[in-house]
Amino acid sequence: MRAKIETKKYLFAFIITALVFFGALVVSNKFSAQRIAEIKAIENNISMDILASETQFALLKDSSCKAIDHSTAFSEELSSLTAKLSYMEDNLGANNLEVISLKKYYSLLQVKDYLLVKQVKEKCGVKPITIIYFYSNAGDCEGCVREGYVLTKLRTEFPELRIYSFDYNLDLSVVKTMKSIYGVRNTLPALNIWEENYYGFKSAEDIEKIIPQLKKLRIEREKAEAAKAATSTKN
Amino acid sequence: MVEIFFNSILYIFLFLTLYLEVFFLITFFEERLKLDTKGTTGKLSYYPSATIIVPCWNEEKTVSKTIESLLALHYPKDKLKIFVVDDGSTDGTWEVVQKFLRNPQVKLFKKENGGKHTAVNYGIKNSTSELVGCLDADSFVDKDALHEIASAFNEDTDMMAAIPTIIIHEPKTILQKMQKTEYHTVAFFKRMLSPLDAITVTPGPFSFFRKEVFEKIGLFKKAHNTEDMELALRMQSNHMRIRNVHTAHVHTSGPDTLYKLYRQRLRWAYGGMKNTLDYRFMLFRRRYGILGMVTLPLAFFGIFIFLYNFGFVVFHIVRGVMSKAVEISTVGLSFALPNVDSFFFNTDFMSILAYVFLGLGLVIIWNGVKLAEGRFRPSIGIFYFISLYGIVAPIWLTRALINLVFSRSTSWR
Repeated sequence: MRAKIETKKYLFAFIITALVFFGALVVSNKFSAQRIAEIKAIENNISMDILASETQFALLKDSSCKAIDHSTAFSEELSSLTAKLSYMEDNLGANNLEVISLKKYYSLLQVKDYLLVKQVKEKCGVKPITIIYFYSNAGDCEGCVREGYVLTKLRTEFPELRIYSFDYNLDLSVVKTMKSIYGVRNTLPALNIWEENYYGFKSAEDIEKIIPQLKKLRIEREKAEAAKAATSTKN
Repeated sequence: MVEIFFNSILYIFLFLTLYLEVFFLITFFEERLKLDTKGTTGKLSYYPSATIIVPCWNEEKTVSKTIESLLALHYPKDKLKIFVVDDGSTDGTWEVVQKFLRNPQVKLFKKENGGKHTAVNYGIKNSTSELVGCLDADSFVDKDALHEIASAFNEDTDMMAAIPTIIIHEPKTILQKMQKTEYHTVAFFKRMLSPLDAITVTPGPFSFFRKEVFEKIGLFKKAHNTEDMELALRMQSNHMRIRNVHTAHVHTSGPDTLYKLYRQRLRWAYGGMKNTLDYRFMLFRRRYGILGMVTLPLAFFGIFIFLYNFGFVVFHIVRGVMSKAVEISTVGLSFALPNVDSFFFNTDFMSILAYVFLGLGLVIIWNGVKLAEGRFRPSIGIFYFISLYGIVAPIWLTRALINLVFSRSTSWR
């Protein structure tokens, strides 16, 4: 006699499989939710930092520029936040509502920081190195991925460089205003450096030509490192 | 839209694959008390007479060792005959086996070359034993293997064929070590398929049949160079019971190079699909039990599922490599340490499923090793199997599919 098909066993195996399958889905969603919460927490931190800087700036309006500490705002956590947002965008999709909401908040924070930097610049005559970058991930920008790599590399190499990146297609009035103020056309990737627009892919060398200070910064860093190495050798 | 379509198919395939793994693991839990690896002890109440046929074609290097391992079997000498059938060898095989001429247990036959199955059939026709078995001339048996098989035949009078646990003998190359773990995994599945009456092959090394099997359904037939599968399917279609005796161990040599492995597996994969097509009347038929509903469809459609899943993995690997290539060509090589932030640990749905599959796979390997070796021993073969099998198997599976579509047959050698 051939072994009979036990319907119960088939059903039991099906239930377990379904539980594992949907369990994996639930666990995956839970991890995604945790990540989104982490990004929100970082954004809140940055928001707080900016508010602190703005308040500090208002308090010391008539005082010396030396007293203004702008380094705390929006700097250290920026690159990690950008990477994390980009990771979530890859995983959950660019059309995910949570991702879009996080991106909008992130864009707002960037604009706030940008304005603050501008105020510091006007009052104190400091000339920060700023790049405003417009990209698109709707599949209509071939050079955007490569431009992203270039800017990430520059940001890692030059922490003094402030890069503000905006999704050109993001439905946010502030981004639209930024586009119209600087007259950025839909020819992406687009960079705005010191209020001048550059369209199409720009390599690290191209950007260094536009911003000669970057070269100076590198030379200074190399000198400092050489001096440090010399000191440690003496010791 | 296209991505959603392909992903949906993938999810269905993954669900099916997971379902089968769960199904076999449930069977494992049902069977776990019967999985003693020590085997039977003491004398049997009855020793059925047995003939072991050794078909050989140009096996001068290994045939002596094979026959000696058979002569060393713990089985009454008057109950065991060894038929060496030289299938028209062109090397020194016939001269080598002459040293066994005076051994009363060994009979030597020589015939014109006609293929392995004709040599086995030649032996079956000349045998009068109750049990008839076969051992390829590149395989060796454990001393108790026949004792275990005879004991199983005694216990189950409805059992018409018994298949052993096959173990790769002294693996040397990476591919052989990979095959060792593969055979352990197969040992697990064979043992699980056994009580479900769903075994689809009675492999060349040391499968045994009651003589009446051949009297009732005929001898081995030419069948796409996988005659052992055809006979198993013919037996199954006649509702003859095939069981796995996991305590009977046979050692065989695995192909040592990728080309040899490719040739062997192409023959198996192509023959498997062709035989399934020949016996398609059993597909999805409840009267053929789990064989008809699960294992036979799996033998055929499993190749498509495997290749589809493989295609998906390749697609993502290629995409990742291309993206990295673009990054390197844009900003050069970065020697920075990789980001160890737990945030970037991949926990998307597909990855979690992959971890589940890996975990279940390890449970199966663990138990397969225990079944074949008596206890679990970690080996580098497990690593090779997990990391390499998915890369090399698609080579012969793809070719087998192409051959099937264009009806190109495979050869033995």
